[in-house]
Amino acid sequence: MAEFSTSVVNKGDVSIIYLKGYLDAHTAPALEDNFMKLIDENKFKIIANFSELEYISSAGLGVFMAYIEKIRDNKGDIKLTNMSEKVFNIFDLLGFPLLYEIFKTEEEALEKFNESKSVGNE
Amino acid sequence: MKPDKKYIFDSFQFKLFLVSAGILTLFKLLFDSSDALIYLLVNDLLVLITITFLFLSAVVYFLNRRTVPLSLIMNIGIISAFIFLLIAFSDSFFALFFEKAYDKIANPGLAASVISIIYVFLITWFAVYIFVALRHLFFLRQSKNLSVYFNTMLAFFVLAAVTRHYLESTDLSFINDTFLMISVLLMFINSIRISWIAFLTKKEKVGLLFLSIIIFVLFVLNASGTGNTATTSKLLYSFSPTLNVFVSLTLIYGAVYFGVLFFTTLFHLPTAEAFDRKAEEVSSLQYFSKLITQVLDFKELAQTVTDITVRLGNADSSWIIWKENGDYISLANKNIGYVDSEAINKIVLKNIDINKISETTFLSVNDFEDKLKMNLPLKRLAVSPLKAHAQVKGLLIAGRKSDNKFGEEDKDAIDTFSDYASVAIENSTLLEESIEKERLEKELDVAREIQRRILPPENPRYTGLEISSVFIPAFEVGGDYYDFFEISDTKLGFVIADVSGKGISAAFIMAEVKGIFQSLSKIIQSPAEILIKANETLKCTLDSKTFVSAVYGLIDFEDETLQLSRAGHLPVLLLRDKEPQRIKPAGLALGLTETEYFKNNLEQVTINLKKDDTIVLYTDGITEAKNERLEDFGEEYFANILMSNLNNKADEISKKVISEVTVFSKEHSQYDDITLVILKWKQKINIDGDKHGRIQHISCK
Repeated sequence: MAEFSTSVVNKGDVSIIYLKGYLDAHTAPALEDNFMKLIDENKFKIIANFSELEYISSAGLGVFMAYIEKIRDNKGDIKLTNMSEKVFNIFDLLGFPLLYEIFKTEEEALEKFNESKSVGNE
Repeated sequence: MKPDKKYIFDSFQFKLFLVSAGILTLFKLLFDSSDALIYLLVNDLLVLITITFLFLSAVVYFLNRRTVPLSLIMNIGIISAFIFLLIAFSDSFFALFFEKAYDKIANPGLAASVISIIYVFLITWFAVYIFVALRHLFFLRQSKNLSVYFNTMLAFFVLAAVTRHYLESTDLSFINDTFLMISVLLMFINSIRISWIAFLTKKEKVGLLFLSIIIFVLFVLNASGTGNTATTSKLLYSFSPTLNVFVSLTLIYGAVYFGVLFFTTLFHLPTAEAFDRKAEEVSSLQYFSKLITQVLDFKELAQTVTDITVRLGNADSSWIIWKENGDYISLANKNIGYVDSEAINKIVLKNIDINKISETTFLSVNDFEDKLKMNLPLKRLAVSPLKAHAQVKGLLIAGRKSDNKFGEEDKDAIDTFSDYASVAIENSTLLEESIEKERLEKELDVAREIQRRILPPENPRYTGLEISSVFIPAFEVGGDYYDFFEISDTKLGFVIADVSGKGISAAFIMAEVKGIFQSLSKIIQSPAEILIKANETLKCTLDSKTFVSAVYGLIDFEDETLQLSRAGHLPVLLLRDKEPQRIKPAGLALGLTETEYFKNNLEQVTINLKKDDTIVLYTDGITEAKNERLEDFGEEYFANILMSNLNNKADEISKKVISEVTVFSKEHSQYDDITLVILKWKQKINIDGDKHGRIQHISCK
């Protein structure tokens, strides 16, 4: 059975979720738990780092849809980074690039969050 | 009256007793007592017969009853108390009749005769009951056949009783004395073998100790009351000397028996507790091994485990600390509140590493850092691991209020028991898992059945268009869907869709999607419009994490065009030249976004069809099919197979693809549904009557 695991690192007020392995209908609840916990802790600025994710199924994509509304309502966002071409293609097919900001690197996504913060502060 | 239940009054022996008692009564009333030998012999014979029948009917009575020794003892006690009262009141009562002239007893009046006969019968009845009850106690729980001892004693009883009167005032009276002495000796011998005491609990033994001493005293008093001088004795003696001796002997036997019983019980008391515990262990383990096979409910099983722990460990409370979703919770609390147990749990977990505990460990309150403020202050704790799959899944706690330390014996008992409990709990979880698995399989059967009914039973047929479709469901039901809509004589709509998620929920969404496309295809022709409307509906009905990818196409036989719109689905492949064209108009999956946004990001393309154009629609079940090295079948390989079969018929192409996919993934179970639809445009046919080449109409029923 394909395995899936996550780890969360906080950088400033941004939380970065590292995804690893196979994200499908069976492993999706593990990722859901991550999002739920972050939302409970009022952490709405989230980066999902896909660098070690090998596969994502439609059910895995659904997890991102489940919480995005609530996160954006709280002036947060989920930004996606470090996708392999294969994973990006799956996102692309479904039109997810229209819904999420996808960056090549984590730093770019962090920058984007900080930018919007400084804009917000002005 | 139930036929299997025999009452003493129905028995043959009892009827004989009634007859003989009647004869005896008549004899007594008709003939005045005399010293004539013939009178004495007849009298004794009648008395003997009567007692024998009464004895036999009592034996039968006891045979047909399940008697508990303690209740039998109680009965004997009550009866001896009765006898005591009878004897005590008989002096003053009979004085009224006999005017203190005891010598007149020999020839009283009729009323006095009747009353004294009834009195004697009553005493006899009681004496026989006691005798038979003692006999029953004698035989109770005996492993060997000891009837010879008892029967010998009985024989000497009879001998002593029968010979009494005839030898009393002769030189041979020593014979009678010998019989009496042997009888008493045998009484002692027969009273020593009391084996049923061992099977009583300590509490019962204490009760028995008091009972036996009281009954012993009663018997001694009664025996002396039937001695030589008392009224009762005189009445019995004048009625029949044999009877008098028999009653006396029975009462002495009672006194001996209960005297011995008292001491036996006394000697049994010190070991009673150990015996109790052993018995408890044995019965608990038996009880529990039964439960291993019986308990289907984990909660119920846990409750039983703590119940037995309290009994086995001589504890006041017991509960289980169970790991659930990463937290430790109290389970199956016995004699302790949840607030208290939760408080103790924290302390236990602080003192014990749940991953390292391998046997029962003891904790005392002194070990605890903070003093407990609980409703139920437990001073001693025994903590045992509960393991399943070689992992500690929980802890079994036994707690004592008193300062009594748990000893080695408790440790052994709880250790053994927690092993049993672990096995049971493991069984229970395995069972639960397999039940859950079976339930899921049933559910998936339903899902597959729904899917089968949703998909078109057969493809529409046209002379100008070859249509081939293959659908292979995955075990878990992947939520694939395809369909054809014959909109008019000149137009054919088709759709392929994939619901995110799996199982029965995916199957239900498929059903909804079918309904949406079926109704929309009748009123709207533009693929983009249909997808916009479908998105509108699905956005409202699907939960936020579920969506549907789809391609909708419309073939116009007259214009020879194919219009396509794509909502997040895999591209449509057009095989025309050397390379397959990936037709991938922009479009978000259905159910993700609001209408406006969806509409603004949706394209529609139109393809002018040429002869032998092959249009391939598929789901990711094909491209993501895996081999033993977990490699994907892949789009490239897929395209290669399609291109090398380009000149074949649609049916042959799809057959080829499926066989390649099957061979490729033979070592890996099919994870997702596989759907493949191939349309091959032949040519525009313009024949009157069947203008557009449709040869069969499949109407929607």
